[in-house]
Amino acid sequence: MSDILTPTEEALAEAPPPTRGGGALRYVLTKIGGGLVSFALVIVLGFLLFRALPGDVVATMFRGRPATPEMIANLKHQYGLDLPLWQQFVNYVGDLLRGDLGDSYVYRVPVWQKIEERFWPTVLLVGVSTLISVALGLWMGTRSGWRRGSRFDRISTGVALALWSTPTFWLGMLLLAATTGLFPTAGIVYSDTPPDFFSQALDIAHHMVLPTITMVAVTYAQYQLVMRSSLIEEMGADYLTTARAKGLRDDEVRRKHAVPNALLPTVTLVFLHLGFVIAGAISVETVFSWPGLGRLTYDALRVGDLPLLQGTFVVLAGAVIVMNVFADLLYRVLDPRVRAA
Amino acid sequence: MPLLELRDLSVRYRNRGVEAVRGVNLTLDAGETLGLAGESGCGKSTLAMSVLRLLPPNADISGEILLDGEDVTTMKWGRLRAVRWTSAAIVFQGAMHALNPVQRVRDQIAEPIELHSKTEYSASALRKRVHELLAQVELPAEKGDSYPHELSGGQKQRVMIAMALACEPRLVIADEPTTALDVIVQAQVLALMSDLVAEKDIGLVMISHDLAVLASTCERLAVMYQGSLVEEGLSAEVITNPQHTHTQTLAAAFPTVGDPGSRYAPATSTTLPDAVPAPGDELLRTSDLHVTFRTRGVTHAVAGVDLSVRRGEIVALVGQSGSGKTTLARTILGLQEPTSGQVTYDGKPVPRSTRGLKAYRRQVQLVLQDPTSALNPRHSVYESIAEGLRIHKVPGDEREHVAAALDAAELRPPQEFMPLLPHQLSGGQRQRVVIAGALALEPKLLVADEPVASLDASVRGEILALLLRLRANLGLAALVITHDLGLAWNIADRVAVMYQGELVEVGPVDEVLNDPKHDYTRSLLAALPTTQPKETDLASG
Repeated sequence: MSDILTPTEEALAEAPPPTRGGGALRYVLTKIGGGLVSFALVIVLGFLLFRALPGDVVATMFRGRPATPEMIANLKHQYGLDLPLWQQFVNYVGDLLRGDLGDSYVYRVPVWQKIEERFWPTVLLVGVSTLISVALGLWMGTRSGWRRGSRFDRISTGVALALWSTPTFWLGMLLLAATTGLFPTAGIVYSDTPPDFFSQALDIAHHMVLPTITMVAVTYAQYQLVMRSSLIEEMGADYLTTARAKGLRDDEVRRKHAVPNALLPTVTLVFLHLGFVIAGAISVETVFSWPGLGRLTYDALRVGDLPLLQGTFVVLAGAVIVMNVFADLLYRVLDPRVRAA
Repeated sequence: MPLLELRDLSVRYRNRGVEAVRGVNLTLDAGETLGLAGESGCGKSTLAMSVLRLLPPNADISGEILLDGEDVTTMKWGRLRAVRWTSAAIVFQGAMHALNPVQRVRDQIAEPIELHSKTEYSASALRKRVHELLAQVELPAEKGDSYPHELSGGQKQRVMIAMALACEPRLVIADEPTTALDVIVQAQVLALMSDLVAEKDIGLVMISHDLAVLASTCERLAVMYQGSLVEEGLSAEVITNPQHTHTQTLAAAFPTVGDPGSRYAPATSTTLPDAVPAPGDELLRTSDLHVTFRTRGVTHAVAGVDLSVRRGEIVALVGQSGSGKTTLARTILGLQEPTSGQVTYDGKPVPRSTRGLKAYRRQVQLVLQDPTSALNPRHSVYESIAEGLRIHKVPGDEREHVAAALDAAELRPPQEFMPLLPHQLSGGQRQRVVIAGALALEPKLLVADEPVASLDASVRGEILALLLRLRANLGLAALVITHDLGLAWNIADRVAVMYQGELVEVGPVDEVLNDPKHDYTRSLLAALPTTQPKETDLASG
């Protein structure tokens, strides 16, 4: 090992033992600060992105009905779309800082209200399917990595890859067709279900089966493959030989030494993807008409509902950033080496 | 009954087809110490691993391994697990990756105790036992709460030893226990191991490539070569009167500092330059150089260093890890900004602009310690050498330049080496490729960071001889950073001893190493492993 190319190694060798947690607050603040900067960029980008969308948003709002130029101009004025772009931006940011995302053109209600109403169904669907797919992926990845080249490894990796490359909407429709009548095809709950908690929960669960299976099927492969490859990387490590030499059983070596180390890169991936999964729920929610954020975004995009699009964009991008920051913070808790750096 | 007896032991790896160990017979009694020497790939580590049956599944073992009279090769898994660590424990090379990076060392030491103890240990009793073990290896109890990366190499090695003693085994196998450590720490660890082994009447098998290390700790020596045991005997006899040619090579590889026969004469079969050329005028100078790090308190890594290197001169910069020698080298290369003071090259201050540094680095080339990681495994020899030429847009025919560099690094004929990939070369050849890459740019000065530390003993002399010839033929100056005083004795004109960021002694090699003035230089010399009993007054000085 040569340390001539890496700075401060010598400082390390001579320095007193690091005081743990000393730089923790600074670390947390740096990460949160970084997240806020990203968020600011997202707001600017989101604003410009939707201004660059083709087609006149106001014209689409009339949906082909005849409209006089005055009516259009009136509406533009009403929404502040006749102002110069910078003025629009200043107004937008000002409103955003007050927590006002504007009113939806189509639903005629505040965007916040719409997002709030659609937020929890998405969290429920994404949360449950992520839990299942992480558990499944990690378990399969550990098993296939530990016995690399075994029949289990070859089959499960093949299946995972095949599902991973399956288009989500196609798999969803296939499931719908294959299980006709067994599960509800749309929505989150029947309108005639009794209002008591138990019946409601049962009905929601019933509605969730197909969307959840679809989401798990297309996402668990990434967890399995990352877990598998990071476990294989750890397999050659000397500390596993040490553990074996101590007389540990093979499964103890795996559970106590190999897996905790191999989990580290996987945990980061899980959290990085959580943010994306929320956005990725768009196709599942559309196929199963699940009243979530993904579906909302899809509808807003179809009709060109500018404030709603901006709103969902900010929320979805915000979710990615929050999860990113959280992954960084969690990694520090899990890996003592990051704490020292 | 001997503690360990190997009867006609052979190990074959199915995927490689060759026998890694061939018909080895060895015995070790309780309380005995045996050194097992050999170069990389000679089968010594395979032999060590086979004792606890830790070899990968593709290894076939034949013969018998009797541990306390019981054959390890035929044990059931349950019995084997019970024997592991309680009958025999292994001290791995702790400075590398033998400790779990995300577990506190306390838990790693406690793990085998909990696993093997017949009675249930209470948490406090276990804690007490771990503290006892840490105390035995002279580590304070609070080090138990550290993670491996928070410990120095020597401390990690002590943790490994504490761990090996946890279940009071009767046999300890130490696999290169001090290889990555510098001399002073190495001496401490070796002394500690010898004491503990003697005190507890443990049998010790110690594996190393360094005969001097083994001879200073073990009563008997066994030398392995290509899987076979070629020589065995009492340490003093083997090292003073080696019979097998391979043992002779190993014994000659590390010179005795102070022996006039090895001055400017590294062990090599090639011809050495006849005369030592007189150095020219000053090429590089650092004046009152300071480098201060402010991460985690203030560290004066380099604290006022004045060092010069003349044209055609070889200067050895020696010191322990943490002495600041690496930071000094980084500053000289322009990789680290000095806090104050300056580096002058050829009478002019070293530029700090990117463009200026690029021109400067063509003159001053770096040779890294480990050629395996210094070379891109997917680049052919030709590509590796031509890269520098392309970066610096050296005029002329690229192929001719590469051929000339390979020739200068004595890889002949050059055409045969050009298309090869690093894995097709031996360790010594790889280091020659790294040197050729530096030579291609026709530098005036080589900065070499431990150029032979990761090479086999028999190759070491060849590379050192190459440096001497380059100096004689090309007038190349070299600043060699090392913790190896034998290297300085072999090739350097002057030696600069660095301690806590300062040069405590600078002067001609013969003067400094034969008649050290500073206490630190003396303790470095005293820490060298020797076959003769040490003079205690030196060690205490």
